[in-house]
Amino acid sequence: MQRILPVKKRGSRGKLKRAQTIPLAIGRYILLISIGYLVLYPVIYMISSSLKPVSAYLDASIIYIPREFTFEFYEFAIRTIDYWDALGSTFLYEMASAALEVMMCSFIGYGMARFKFKGKRFFDVMLILLILIPTQMIITPMMMNYSQMDVFGIGGLFHSLTGIDLRPNILDTVWTFYLPSLLGVGLRAGTLLYIYIQFFKGLPQELEEAAWIDGAGLFRTFFSIALPSSSVVFTTVMIFALVWHWNDYFLPIMYLSDNFPLAVKIYDIESLLTLQNEWGTYASISTKGAACFLFILPVLVVYLFLQRRFVQSIDRVGITG
Amino acid sequence: MRTKKKNRGITALKARYGWICVAPWALGLVLFFIWPVIQSVVYSFCKVNLSAGGMNITFLGLDNFKYIFMENANYLDFMVESLVKFLYSFPVILVLSLILALILNQRFRGRLFFRALYFLPVIIASGAVLKTILSSTAAGVSNMQQDESIAMSMFSVSELVTSLGLPQQMSSYFVTLMDGITGLIWNCGVQTVLFIAGLQAIPPLLYEVSRVEGATSWEEFWFITFPMLSRVIVLVSVFTMVELITDPTNKIMDQAYAFMRSQFYGESSAMLWSYFLIVGVLMAALLGLFKKCCLNKWE
Repeated sequence: MQRILPVKKRGSRGKLKRAQTIPLAIGRYILLISIGYLVLYPVIYMISSSLKPVSAYLDASIIYIPREFTFEFYEFAIRTIDYWDALGSTFLYEMASAALEVMMCSFIGYGMARFKFKGKRFFDVMLILLILIPTQMIITPMMMNYSQMDVFGIGGLFHSLTGIDLRPNILDTVWTFYLPSLLGVGLRAGTLLYIYIQFFKGLPQELEEAAWIDGAGLFRTFFSIALPSSSVVFTTVMIFALVWHWNDYFLPIMYLSDNFPLAVKIYDIESLLTLQNEWGTYASISTKGAACFLFILPVLVVYLFLQRRFVQSIDRVGITG
Repeated sequence: MRTKKKNRGITALKARYGWICVAPWALGLVLFFIWPVIQSVVYSFCKVNLSAGGMNITFLGLDNFKYIFMENANYLDFMVESLVKFLYSFPVILVLSLILALILNQRFRGRLFFRALYFLPVIIASGAVLKTILSSTAAGVSNMQQDESIAMSMFSVSELVTSLGLPQQMSSYFVTLMDGITGLIWNCGVQTVLFIAGLQAIPPLLYEVSRVEGATSWEEFWFITFPMLSRVIVLVSVFTMVELITDPTNKIMDQAYAFMRSQFYGESSAMLWSYFLIVGVLMAALLGLFKKCCLNKWE
């Protein structure tokens, strides 16, 4: 119903201003296509260069589509960035913590949006700060704390009293990624929480009230009533979380010492290529293109599947309240 | 007795539910956010030494800041450079993503296709790939003493410049401009998404009323769309600021991490926080200006 209404109105208005609309439409397409070219160009260049044999660079008649394709750069890229291992490590560190973060943030966001409690103002302020201050700012103390993981100084106190150090070093383990995600302060958790909170604020409350009156507890209400009606926001948050974690190279560089995820390898590809520099400049361009394409391919495939739902969910999620 | 009775019932229950939901987050905030923030602010005023048993912190006062602003050779230059970059990127990203959102929010043929296309940067661009893609041509070919870049390969700029009869210096200027624009457009993805979501949240009723009253689209934009978007604009500004600060090409961050790696923790924290504060104040000023101008206009 809602979808039909504006179309009708547009149609009737269109008749009145037909003369104005056509140049406007043409202008719109020109703008969209020209900016779209800027967006697509690097991607096209990347794919094209990854398939070009070296001889094609020297042939002035070839710009994008070479006469013969070669996949040798893909093989080379897979070897250079250690693709399969790095992919596994991306899933182990980044994807798992993305999933934890999406689930945990939904619960926290639900609580923040639905309930009034003492100290809520404090958490509102904290949310703003969490969005505002990136982890990059506090990475030094974060690393120091992780190297001696402690809760409220209890371990430190115990250490100074008895001399036994119970503070584990969790750098280089999955816990540096899982723990913050589980506690709702992972990678860009502030933004995800904000989206959730805005969504749950706009969700009608009556069903949940009915469930409470019928005696359902918090978890029952959350899992069987609030969650099933929020698939829209899940799509949005999932895509964001997935993509941000997939592309995150900063935290792994800081927290890990080997077994790096894919993003780090792409970030470092320049030095990886110089390490095994068997080929010339053009080959390294091609290898970079191939490596980048291999890197974005999984996300791209997921996006192609979720794309329609994502585009629609943007319309309905009400991020902005 | 009475107060206890009051505290029972649905309100108290809800308050308890609220705390149950927020409890893990509270723990996380203290452990992984508030405490580290306090620590790093303290470090910026101190000299931090790592030793076998832990670390020694000696209070220095403002020495670290004095060092980075007065004695360090690069910090001020980098600061000016990235502030200039911030000042021109910020408005361009905001305006461009707003325009894109306005267009993509209309109904026209191929809208889904264009939306999918313009959301592509959301998927691909965050740091690593963007850096590699955008620099792949430049870095690769510059080894061969040819200053080629993404814009250079897009159109032959030098030919364009000579055919227009412009001076040669213009060509390099155009190239930087085009390179900059490509990078900026690739930074617009999430902002466009947020703006579209904001546009969708505006009740259509307002537009219907304004049409009945005979408003032009221009007036509709300035008196309905823009005011209704003000909250999104703040959100997008904050997001853009964080993006620009954590940009992988940001030299200040690089320098700060280099200091950190050579164990100058105090100086590194001082660098990060003074940069953050200056950008923050700048943005607060911009937002304040925005608020003041727009409020004056709307009232």
